[in-house]
Amino acid sequence: MSETTTTSSAPRRARSRANRKPKKNQIPIGLLVVLGFVGIGLALAAKSAMLGFFWITGISFGFILQRARFCFTASMRDPYLTGGTSLTRAVLIALTLTTLGFTAIKYGYAIKGLPIPGMGYVVPISFATLAGAFLFGVGMVIAGGCASGTLMRVGEGFQMQVISLVFFVIGSLWGAHDFEFWKYNFISKGKAVFLPDVFGWFGAVALQLTIIGLLYIAAVKYEQKRSEAE
Amino acid sequence: MNEVVIDCLGEACPVPLVKAQNKLKEIGLGDVLIVQIDHSCAMKNVPEWARKDGHNVEVEEVDDGEWEVIIEKVK
Repeated sequence: MSETTTTSSAPRRARSRANRKPKKNQIPIGLLVVLGFVGIGLALAAKSAMLGFFWITGISFGFILQRARFCFTASMRDPYLTGGTSLTRAVLIALTLTTLGFTAIKYGYAIKGLPIPGMGYVVPISFATLAGAFLFGVGMVIAGGCASGTLMRVGEGFQMQVISLVFFVIGSLWGAHDFEFWKYNFISKGKAVFLPDVFGWFGAVALQLTIIGLLYIAAVKYEQKRSEAE
Repeated sequence: MNEVVIDCLGEACPVPLVKAQNKLKEIGLGDVLIVQIDHSCAMKNVPEWARKDGHNVEVEEVDDGEWEVIIEKVK
């Protein structure tokens, strides 16, 4: 923490605030939108319980992302640009929670001898993973947001990212169209690894949490080092 | 004491930050830099960077979804 005594005083201001139009009251619109959400949710739930559930979780995700200003792009980019790692650490904490949650779900199925859900997502890793991750990283910094971030800012009404969204859709469709080619020629050449098969359930969780913990410590150290250097 | 305003309305996330960083290098000690933004992400990382750097920072929501980050260069 480099903030010492000086930060309590606000910057001196010479600006006039005269040309400021009063903000519109958004609460009535907000109430209408909430009523709309509930109405559509009820209609969806009447059709199928899953649809209603997706509706609620989707809106909750969006709300939390927007309010928390959570941004996966920033979590990877800000350490370099600002030297701040608060979002990086937030992502690491989120990964910790999902590790524990998904392990609990999968382990629950495994000890009952049932097929483990979500195993379709255990896909081969190969050089293609690295190449894809690199391309995605470049793309999301240029576009100003990853998938969830772009959707969230379109919802906020940020026009430039409507363009991102359009090309995001085009790219996704293109990718889906050619996916068989990539899968056959590159992805299937790799090896699928499900950590609990290799290290056992406890070992896998311990290993993953240790790595996350080390990354967290590295993030804290990096932030301290950067703020000392400046 | 000078006041410099940079207009980053409509610019996506890293752009306002980079512009602010470059501008802050140019202005003199005690000058005030006002960054106008309407990208919610910049609302977070511009103040975070400026505070970490040790400057005085104030954020003001001038309109719905539009902010001014006011940075006083102190070092």
